[in-house]
Amino acid sequence: MATQATTKEMVTLTIDGKSTSVPKGTLVIEAARQVGVMVPHFCYHPKLSPDANCRMCLVEIEKMPRLQTSCSTPVAEGMVVKSSTSTQAQEARKSVLDFILANHPLDCPVCDQGGRCDLQDFSHEYTATTSRFKELKRVFQKEYFSPLIETQMNRCVQCLRCVRYCDQVMDVKALAPVGRGTLTEIKAFGAHELDCEFCGGCVQICPVGAITSRLSMYEFRPWMLKRTDSVCGYCGDGCQITFQTKNNDLIEVNSTQGSGRNNGDLCARGYFGYHVSEHPDRLTLPLIKKGNEFQPVQWEDALELVGQRLLDIKAKHGADAIGGLISGRCTNEDIYVFQKFMRGVVGTNRIDSSVRYGHLNGVHALQRVQGTYRWSVSFDDIVSADTLLLVGTNITETNPITGLKVKEAVKRRGAKLVTIEALETAIGTISNIVNLAQHHLGVKPTGYATAILGLLKAVVDQGLLDGEFQAKSPAYFNDVSARLQALSWDSIHGQTGLASDAFKQAAQVFGRGKEVVILVGPGVLRAAGGFGMTMNLLDLLLLTGKIMTPGCGLAPLAEENNDQGAFEMGGTGAVLPGGASLGDPEARNNLSQAWGRPIPETPGSSLPQMIEDAQQGKLKALFIVGENPLSSLPPSSGIHSALEKVEFLVCQELFLTETAQQAQVVLPASSYAEKDGTFTNTEGHIQSVRKAIDPVGDSRPDWEIFSALSVMMNDPMEYEDVKQIGKEIRNLFPGTRTLGPAPLPAQPDSSSIARYVTVDYQRDMATRYQLPTNTTETEEITLQVSQSLFHSGKFSRKAKGLLQVEDRGKIYLHPEEAARRGVGEGDTVKVSNSLGEVIVPVGLRERIPQGVAVFPEHFDEEVRRLLPYSIDPETQVPYYKVARVHFEKLARQ
Amino acid sequence: MLLTKFKDEVEEILSRYPVKRSALLPLLNLAQREEGFVSEPAMRDIAKVLDLTPPQVFETVTFYTMFNFKPIGKFHLQVCKSLMCALVRSDEVVEWISKKLNIAPGQTTTDNTFTLSVVECLGSCGTGPMMQVNDDYYEQLTEEKVGRVLDDLAKNGDCPLKSGPFMHPMPLAKS
Amino acid sequence: MAEYEKILLKNMEQPGYSGSLADYEQAGGYQAFRKVLNDMQPDQVIEEVKKSGLRGRGGAGFPTGVKWGFIPKDHPGPRYLCCNADESEPGTFKDRQLMERDPHQMLEGMAITCFAIGAETSYVYIRGEFRLGAKILEKAVQEAKAAGYLGGNVLGTGRTINIHVHAGAGAYICGEETALLESLEGKRGMPRFKPPFPATHGLYQKPTVVNNVETMANIPHIINRGGEWFAGIGSPPKSCGTRIFCLSGHVKRPGNYEVPMGIPFREFIYDVGGGMRSDKPLKAFIPGGASAPFLTPDHLDVKMDFEAVAMAGSMLGSGGVTVMEEGTSMVWAALRLMEFFYHESCGKCTPCREGSSWMTQILQRIWNKRGRTGDLEMLDELCRNIAGRTVCAFGEAEVGPIQSTLKYFRHEYEALIREAEATMPRSKEIPVMTH
Repeated sequence: MATQATTKEMVTLTIDGKSTSVPKGTLVIEAARQVGVMVPHFCYHPKLSPDANCRMCLVEIEKMPRLQTSCSTPVAEGMVVKSSTSTQAQEARKSVLDFILANHPLDCPVCDQGGRCDLQDFSHEYTATTSRFKELKRVFQKEYFSPLIETQMNRCVQCLRCVRYCDQVMDVKALAPVGRGTLTEIKAFGAHELDCEFCGGCVQICPVGAITSRLSMYEFRPWMLKRTDSVCGYCGDGCQITFQTKNNDLIEVNSTQGSGRNNGDLCARGYFGYHVSEHPDRLTLPLIKKGNEFQPVQWEDALELVGQRLLDIKAKHGADAIGGLISGRCTNEDIYVFQKFMRGVVGTNRIDSSVRYGHLNGVHALQRVQGTYRWSVSFDDIVSADTLLLVGTNITETNPITGLKVKEAVKRRGAKLVTIEALETAIGTISNIVNLAQHHLGVKPTGYATAILGLLKAVVDQGLLDGEFQAKSPAYFNDVSARLQALSWDSIHGQTGLASDAFKQAAQVFGRGKEVVILVGPGVLRAAGGFGMTMNLLDLLLLTGKIMTPGCGLAPLAEENNDQGAFEMGGTGAVLPGGASLGDPEARNNLSQAWGRPIPETPGSSLPQMIEDAQQGKLKALFIVGENPLSSLPPSSGIHSALEKVEFLVCQELFLTETAQQAQVVLPASSYAEKDGTFTNTEGHIQSVRKAIDPVGDSRPDWEIFSALSVMMNDPMEYEDVKQIGKEIRNLFPGTRTLGPAPLPAQPDSSSIARYVTVDYQRDMATRYQLPTNTTETEEITLQVSQSLFHSGKFSRKAKGLLQVEDRGKIYLHPEEAARRGVGEGDTVKVSNSLGEVIVPVGLRERIPQGVAVFPEHFDEEVRRLLPYSIDPETQVPYYKVARVHFEKLARQ
Repeated sequence: MLLTKFKDEVEEILSRYPVKRSALLPLLNLAQREEGFVSEPAMRDIAKVLDLTPPQVFETVTFYTMFNFKPIGKFHLQVCKSLMCALVRSDEVVEWISKKLNIAPGQTTTDNTFTLSVVECLGSCGTGPMMQVNDDYYEQLTEEKVGRVLDDLAKNGDCPLKSGPFMHPMPLAKS
Repeated sequence: MAEYEKILLKNMEQPGYSGSLADYEQAGGYQAFRKVLNDMQPDQVIEEVKKSGLRGRGGAGFPTGVKWGFIPKDHPGPRYLCCNADESEPGTFKDRQLMERDPHQMLEGMAITCFAIGAETSYVYIRGEFRLGAKILEKAVQEAKAAGYLGGNVLGTGRTINIHVHAGAGAYICGEETALLESLEGKRGMPRFKPPFPATHGLYQKPTVVNNVETMANIPHIINRGGEWFAGIGSPPKSCGTRIFCLSGHVKRPGNYEVPMGIPFREFIYDVGGGMRSDKPLKAFIPGGASAPFLTPDHLDVKMDFEAVAMAGSMLGSGGVTVMEEGTSMVWAALRLMEFFYHESCGKCTPCREGSSWMTQILQRIWNKRGRTGDLEMLDELCRNIAGRTVCAFGEAEVGPIQSTLKYFRHEYEALIREAEATMPRSKEIPVMTH
């Protein structure tokens, strides 16, 4: 948390007879709210700069000749404001409603906003709810606007909240107020459909029914809906959502203004992706494979079979012949019970989770250097930072809400932004974070390591080092400096295309910052050498003396909604719940005491290790919960042959995925909409997940299934309900599991840092501070498979809303790159390398650097074949997102 | 691309302003001057040059009445209808033109030569009734003058009756 | 007829005067600029203009020197000057004459203003329809640049003063100073709420002065002959100097006339303007452009200065005097003006946007003999709910014609409504609307 205490000048004023003291610069309407005086308004919104166009918030202010708009008037000492006690103001508001109701159609019966409409509410409060307008209303023809967002412009009150939100908050600028006077309507571009991020922000912020969701059109009246506050299951941002259900049916999702870590903002996945849980393909009954077919069976049969087989295999081959893989999609309670089941009942530490796919690089680096497994900063620190460095994030597509914090910091608070991204500055239909950067270092997906070293070198070259720290750890500083000085700017330029000046300027900005946050994302965390690069970024914070400063820190972005929780709950075999290493005797002792069971002595193993073991016949059984490695991993990883060799594969899943199809037993699990629990978001903040609808079919929450299995294996670990699990966890790790409105960021541990800068850094310094060796470039293009905005996690392709925006993959190129190869939008190309070939359509996108092609990872079934596979030597994180490929144009479509 | 054709002019326009977006109206004017109207490709090109999104360009274009979204006739006859001209029979001017060309306000002659519009005050109230034809003003219109202007324009593409630098009343000759 | 000294129109009325730089210099042009650069400090220039009592000639009439004084001295800048040449107020056509016939007069004024407020860059925002005017101005700017009056290192002083001509594209509202700034920034011309004022947060949120063409044209003369001299002309202390009033409507000699402020309307209309064009007497007149409330023959002896006209219940405004003879329907006149305001309403704030449409439709019905009892009360109420409730003065402007014609000619409205109710059965009422 930033601790710069700014003593703000306070102003005292009176509103409707109530006196209050507020900081200078507060708007009268905000001051009024603080004393409980609600001033009616349409165009005012705390997230937007004031526009004062609706004239609804007019108040009487003594000594001012005319009524003033309270949304645009800052408080002044001794001001006397009259809102509800002013007849003049009340008359004015009534007249504004009269004016709005002149052209606003009285079609509440067919308007989705009816029942939660500001205009309705104010009309009831201020005036008779009919219009005195007896002339011709202006009429807009209803036009199709987009697959997910609907407009009915007759209802528009021209508050421009939608336009301003899309511009000021989202930086997308897809909405345009077109025309003049009463004939102004909100459109996109010409007669074209809306093409944007579909964050649903405009739908949420519209005070009337002019912009509504098409996905839930006409399905409800607000008073019919049951509301359940929960947390989104799509990514590590962990946004507060409210499920709106009717008769046990998911109708829509929204987020309350000001609530949650997301402050009421959502992205397309959160806002429109909720239909996953109700997809017709949901598994409703356990399945057992008989021959080549799946037979639906009763729970008892399936559980008995699984329990029996596991006991058999354990007896015959030992507990370590059984492995477990759980997803960061599951709740903390699910994961905790899973690893307790695996360690305590099955008797093995061979557990891994989706954390392995990249998040572990971030967490492990934090642990190694600063002794924390959580961020030492929060979203609030990002917003209040004066300097932000984004490395390999593509944050507006991967973690859009964290991206909003970056946008707010830069746009509203003037923070300096430095970006190292595989992006070019370019305006498109979705926002591009590098457009907001003061210094953008554009690299290829393979260029991050060199660029980070370049930035470090520039920092050292220009002496932007922390003197105090340097004095305390001279060996470390000298070692790092020497290695950096040994790197030549020429080589760095050759590998990145960036001159030393670019790095030097960026280093200056970074060095001058007082509250500095570095965000690192999948471009680095999932790229070869990702762990080393993350460590180097921590070195950057150390060298500049920022690592212990409040408000500063490294923030690795978690992909899955509960990857952070998966780590903390011990879903990664070599780490126990609570973050302690498996080898830590005290931690083991505590745990086994609490469980009343011993912790197995054998080491944990990673997913890549389990694949190898399976191929060698050492892994006989695999219990996969919520993960789909056949789809996540490329063929080059050997996953296919590995799974084939596994004798007994059990998949616990929402859908019959590729991996589940290979299983002997499939167990239907309940989604996050159907159970209670908690998620831990990327900040390390724990939030409650609540059941909104009943479990679909005969599916059960994951933890219940593990519990039942333990009974089947004659070693019951039973829980009455989720709360009991939560209690057990809290008792094990007091102080780290509080549920509050905001996270308590971890404090970097000075003894861990001391250990790092004296001994530990030496271990891998040489490899980390070496420029990557250039492979001979025979192939032409660097292919990057990465996450796109509209898909995330493992079930977004079952969300009918999201599929309406993106339902297939294209290979995206910069238009000039495409033109050079004689291809245009929609043409097909053959993409190939030594690993295989694939035929895909072409898309054009100006933000993609030349020499690079991007393919969305959620549609990469075929393209995956081209991806080579390697494993990080320290963290065992598999790297397989980048490949060099050939391009061949095929006949024009 | 339109703007590469006028690269120098575009550069000059951009150099006048410290913030790129200010060049929007001049660039739109350039596009309309060249193509006769503001086309979608022109708007996209301009958006790219100014680091704007196409919707941002679109919203600005539609605010101002002088931009056309479709091609119009060769000569755009814009007759002022505001009160001061109406007091001196501007409504009749519209009728004269309508009758002579056989079109109503908002329409174009079949040979695409003339488009007739009725517009608000053009800043020529002392010499009304009057009209603007493309870049030129024609003031103190009478039925005869209107006929002469239309004939000249149709025949020669220009008319000597267009107004020069404005001064009214002209000073009396001093002895 | 009284002969008044011409100041602003002096050059252009000389036979053979072309408005070129050579002609302007020969007439004594750019001497004031030299004086300012060589002998004066910016503060002194501001003081001189304050002393002159010059008030804005665009319509609002704000004291010019005071406006310049609001520019914060300690702001790092840059500062800007915008000359408002968006002359779109119906009844007004003086700036056009000044720009097309004697462009350097205004440019010199702008250059002096830039010096006084510390601006290096200035823009002339000229309405898009004034194509000839824009061309003439651009040529004059080039001439001035070539001669060293504009550009970097102005007259060897090392100062930079640049003037750019920026054309609008058809929006009356862009004559409002904050809407002008928005339009100059390349956006929709929507007025901004004030405070903050352009003096502190203007073009690109930097300190900016927005002045009318005629205001600028006065500056060289004030510098040449002194603020005191200027303050002695017209109707001091509140309405100093001359004004170019634009006479239009049913008079013998419509046109631009430069007269000292304070002469009565009677003199202006009947002596200077030659009186009514026919034997029909004067029925009503608008003293200051379409936004100014109508006045009647009872007001002919009102003096043409800011205070007197305000006291009479109208405003001097843009100086556009429109005369209407007996036989002109006041309802028709109000409707014609209302249609203008409806067309030009930017749509930002609710009362003006919806109110202009509402009032136009009521007026159209009344004029087209489809009025109803209650229409006039509705109009009264709508006017009351628009004026004073809007972001900019457009709200007050658009209710001016209706309120004043209702005040002085209510019987005309009532007669039309009576006629409508007698001839049109209630069940057959159809609203009439033309967009």
